[in-house]
Amino acid sequence: MRLLIIPFILALLAGCQSQNNEETFTFASSGEFRPFSFTDDQGALQGYDIDVGRELAKRMNKEAKPMKYKFPSIVEGVKNGRFDAAVASHTITDERKEHVAFTIPYYFSGPQIFTRNGEEYHAPEGIKTKDIAVSKGSTYATLAAKFTDKLSVYDSDITALEALNTGRHDLVITDAITGAMAIKRGLKVQGLEKLGESRQGIAVAKENTELLQLLNKELKSMQTDGTLKSIGVKYFGRDISVSTEIIKPGN
Amino acid sequence: MPSFAHLFETFVSSAPLFLKGALLTFELSLASVLIGLAIGLFFAFLSLSKIRALNAISNFYITLVRGTPLIVQIFVLYFGLTDVVQISGFLAATLALAFHNGAYLSEIFRGAIQSIDRGQYEAAKSLGMTSYQTYARIILPQAFLRALPALGNQFIIALKDSSLAAFISMDELFNMATTQGANNFDQMTYLIIVAVYYLVMVMALSHLVNLVEVKLKRSGAT
Repeated sequence: MRLLIIPFILALLAGCQSQNNEETFTFASSGEFRPFSFTDDQGALQGYDIDVGRELAKRMNKEAKPMKYKFPSIVEGVKNGRFDAAVASHTITDERKEHVAFTIPYYFSGPQIFTRNGEEYHAPEGIKTKDIAVSKGSTYATLAAKFTDKLSVYDSDITALEALNTGRHDLVITDAITGAMAIKRGLKVQGLEKLGESRQGIAVAKENTELLQLLNKELKSMQTDGTLKSIGVKYFGRDISVSTEIIKPGN
Repeated sequence: MPSFAHLFETFVSSAPLFLKGALLTFELSLASVLIGLAIGLFFAFLSLSKIRALNAISNFYITLVRGTPLIVQIFVLYFGLTDVVQISGFLAATLALAFHNGAYLSEIFRGAIQSIDRGQYEAAKSLGMTSYQTYARIILPQAFLRALPALGNQFIIALKDSSLAAFISMDELFNMATTQGANNFDQMTYLIIVAVYYLVMVMALSHLVNLVEVKLKRSGAT
């Protein structure tokens, strides 16, 4: 009877092996940031980020392994080698650059203020004392903290938007495209002021310069041959891989 | 693992934030345990009733609450009730925790009350006590003492379970830790710190339960 335990121990030990090897490209996404990453009816990860990750893997002749991971811990997961990279809509910031390396931007968007229909707030004066809901560890959380001291943090942007939709909090700051998609899917909220443009990059561990160079090379070729554009068209009806710079930063 | 010096430094610098979180954790736990005790006692009596319909009601409640995860109950109260009534996050978390703990507490009370010897009821009756007097003066004080270790256990669980309120954006201890961890890219440090806070709170709580137990035993409630 006691021998029965051996297969279990072996299985556990097998689990300890690093998931990163040469043949696979393991990349993390939150799966809670529709339409950039979400899980479909079959439970598989889908979205703009996932398509980009899969395409990159294909071009590097590796097997794509998308992994769902809670957004607040993804950067640390990359840093600790839990996955090869994060294709998770990370805005490139100096704070994050202290911990991981970023590729060139693979799309451009920006934070936007969302409120319930009919309500109006203007940054920065009009939102000073307001209850702002954001997702944990996001650049929106950092941004919102500059305006107000009444922050409500959720594990995902969608949950924050849903809370706003059900009459909680005053406003949500999140990605403009994600907010627009949520409205399309029936949330009774509206997008107001945009608060600048953000550049989203793929995060890799700092010491993994080889992968970083490879990813940059493939991203550039995806830009020139129109692949990145067509992924954008698939999800948003337009190319989001080029900077628009029409958005003025809020001051 | 973060170094001890770094841990200590962060522990001190984050203390104002975490104490605020600890206060909310304390409030959530206390409110939900008090309401939970009332709910628990109420359903324990329903379970003990000779009326079948009342047994069925309490059985339904206990099955429903014990059969579903607390996190689901919290989300249902937070998002599901908004069509009917808009309740605050604090109220949603408190009610969910109270309903959750109430089910377990009612089973603890039921067991404790049932463990009291039949002779006690008969003696009370022979002294001319009413049913209410019997329970208030004879049965419940003894049952409470017997239930105390299990109650203490449940209080500890309630305190730690209040961390699930983090998911509906309550700034209690756990949410403080994961938010700071995410902001500083340093989850492990903040998780260790928050563990220390919970540990201290749980130790204080179990000490308190012990004190009450000793005191009650001395006062001769048995």
